[in-house]
Amino acid sequence: MIELIDVSKTYGGTVKAVDNLNLTIPGGEIFGFLGPNGAGKTTTIKMITGILNADSGTIKVNGVDIKTDPVKVKKQIGFVPDSPNMFLRLKGIEYLGFMADMYDVSSKDRTEIIDDLAKKFGMEDVLNDRIQSYSHGMRQKIVLMGSLLHDPSVWILDEPMTGLDPRSSFILKEMMRKRADSGKTVFFSTHVLDVAEKICDKVAIINKGRILFCGTLDEMRNSSMKDESLEKLFLELTENEE
Amino acid sequence: MKNKMLLLTRTLLKNGEGFGIKGMKNKVSKVLFALMLIIILPGLVVMFSFFVNSAYSALAVIGQEGVIISWGIAITSTVILLFGIFYIAASFYFSRDVEVLLYLPLKPRQIVGAKFLTAAIFEYIITAAVFLPAVIVYGIRSAVGIVFYLYSFVVFVFIPVVPLCLASVLVMILMRFTNASKHKDTFSIIGGTLALLLGMGINIVMQRFIVNINLQELEALITKGENTLALLTSGIFPTARWAVSALLDTATAAGFLNLLLYAAASAAVYIFLLFLGEKVYLKGVVGLSESVSKRNKQNKAEERDKFLKKHSALRTYTMLELKLLFRTPIYFLNCVIVNFIWPVLLLIYMVMGTEGADMQGMVKQLIINTDNAGTIFLFGIAMFAFVAGFNGTVSTSISREGQELFVKKYIPVSYRTQILAKVLSGFILSIAGAVFMLIAATAVFKLPLYISLLILVAGWMGTLLISFFEILLDLYNPKLDWDSEQKAVKQNMNVVYSMVISSIVGGLTIYAAAQFSPGIITAALSAVLIYGGLNVLVYFLLCKKGVERFKQLEG
Repeated sequence: MIELIDVSKTYGGTVKAVDNLNLTIPGGEIFGFLGPNGAGKTTTIKMITGILNADSGTIKVNGVDIKTDPVKVKKQIGFVPDSPNMFLRLKGIEYLGFMADMYDVSSKDRTEIIDDLAKKFGMEDVLNDRIQSYSHGMRQKIVLMGSLLHDPSVWILDEPMTGLDPRSSFILKEMMRKRADSGKTVFFSTHVLDVAEKICDKVAIINKGRILFCGTLDEMRNSSMKDESLEKLFLELTENEE
Repeated sequence: MKNKMLLLTRTLLKNGEGFGIKGMKNKVSKVLFALMLIIILPGLVVMFSFFVNSAYSALAVIGQEGVIISWGIAITSTVILLFGIFYIAASFYFSRDVEVLLYLPLKPRQIVGAKFLTAAIFEYIITAAVFLPAVIVYGIRSAVGIVFYLYSFVVFVFIPVVPLCLASVLVMILMRFTNASKHKDTFSIIGGTLALLLGMGINIVMQRFIVNINLQELEALITKGENTLALLTSGIFPTARWAVSALLDTATAAGFLNLLLYAAASAAVYIFLLFLGEKVYLKGVVGLSESVSKRNKQNKAEERDKFLKKHSALRTYTMLELKLLFRTPIYFLNCVIVNFIWPVLLLIYMVMGTEGADMQGMVKQLIINTDNAGTIFLFGIAMFAFVAGFNGTVSTSISREGQELFVKKYIPVSYRTQILAKVLSGFILSIAGAVFMLIAATAVFKLPLYISLLILVAGWMGTLLISFFEILLDLYNPKLDWDSEQKAVKQNMNVVYSMVISSIVGGLTIYAAAQFSPGIITAALSAVLIYGGLNVLVYFLLCKKGVERFKQLEG
């Protein structure tokens, strides 16, 4: 479970990226985080993962405050950043080995997980190549694999579908579902509303750093009294804000 | 419509191409950079001026003082060509902005032109350091008129054009017709190492021929027409001849004509470069981001098992730092190779030439007297500190993260461990360099073995102390906003600051050694106490302030 209580973040002293945000993301559900560009999605995710420091407020992951025990919080999270262009001079397997050591994964566990994931994503033959030679989708897959090595109880993904082929995208969605069903937390940001509509149990819509709506899709439809697509509801919600 | 090429040049400069002053966030780094520029550049000019001045005196005796000008232009052009090849390869082909520029509606010649101009601006610093002393010394001592200085200014403006064009043409043709661009890392590592060796070679030749030359030899050299460097240069850069003739003959119309010829020829070469850029640049650069993949299945299991073995976070993190240092050409040259170059250069100075012989004699004399064991030991400790400060490994270890810093923020490894891994990777390299130097020094100066061993046992404290200072420096003043790795280490003032710090620490140690001439036991004890104490102090500072600072850095 992820809890954000009164969290704010300002860039450069003036631009309020996240404004007094309150959000609870429970385990056992796929939670979608939606919003237009620049709404504060990535900033929020970066604060949960410890990349950015919140100016004020509290962030807890499974009850542990990121400020008091950042390493313990980070150990419970598997994170997929929005750009997979990193560690390009390492081989795929070297990257996975590095991540496994950072997350303190035993030799046996990492071997099993890597074998399993490589097979699922069709990456077995390229693990010995440098990431530099990978396509965007392959880079995305290696980062996805790296995020699951320690079987995290909280999985956070920033725009995870970008660049994935249909098959991998399908597998990813299946994996998200499976993890949520086993009681783990799955939190992902996207602006592809179709994806959100199909797989999310709950969504939160953020704009200009503030949460406009948080709940199930049915709740959203009920509150607007219209039986419309998520896209229409989203546009209406964010437009009223303008 | 605005000229797109100039517009692009301006944008590239603003974007941090060149020195990255715009990219410096805080005022302190700007002020420090300005101070460096104000102190170091004039320092270089003054240093070269003294050298040129004594050369002038020697040459004036035989009425050949004009050689100063032709050598000035020759050396400037050669240095620009050598630096240029790397700068151009990095800027034209390996910089991250290239991919963005490719899909903008720009003509290849506009990209080439703009990148060339930004490179030229960088080269003016080199030009100022090398060419100005020749002009100033010749101007003052020959009591020439204002026209000479006006001509010199024109020549100054055009000097980088031809060598830099030549570098660009070489690089563009290489990239177009070979596979070099696809194997960019290998290309850069081999090319860079060769250039460093060439640089060292030139250094040795200069030592032999210029510094230690006597009047008779010089006269013989010039009268025999063996003005090799100048001749060679006019072979490579034919236009330089006009510049020399213009500067040596400011009184007649012929001089002016030569100046015009020089300017026109430089402009023509530049236009030719644009033309060539239009033809070949795109073909060399397209598909650059592709790199070759072996996709081999052999040894797959073996290889895989190697990386699947569990190790501590500190060990794996340190190994990652080292791997990246060895695999990234710019880092390899500036952090790894440089470690071994400085010691070699220093030894060459000490061993070669008359000054070197004096030095060697002095050191040997020192060594014979066993009373000096303490002094020699402290010299050794100071050397370990120097070597650590003169490679940019630890002082750029945070900067090198660049935009990937965010990864280090979300992995569940304490900042303390991460900082220690960064220190450790640089420490390993520095120790390797220092030990290499110690072995060479032991052989050259016939150091008593027990002193060498003592230096080895205690020297690491100097290396560690400097490494601690360096990481603090980089934590407080990191250069994270770069788009080519070159900017992270080559245009990073932290490297210069760490040289200054290690010079102060090493210098104080040498001063103490010379001042107090302690016995070996006193020297060893005080070194261990002082260096050890400082290490403990700075380590605690690092664990508190450094960790706090790492926490504040946002990826």
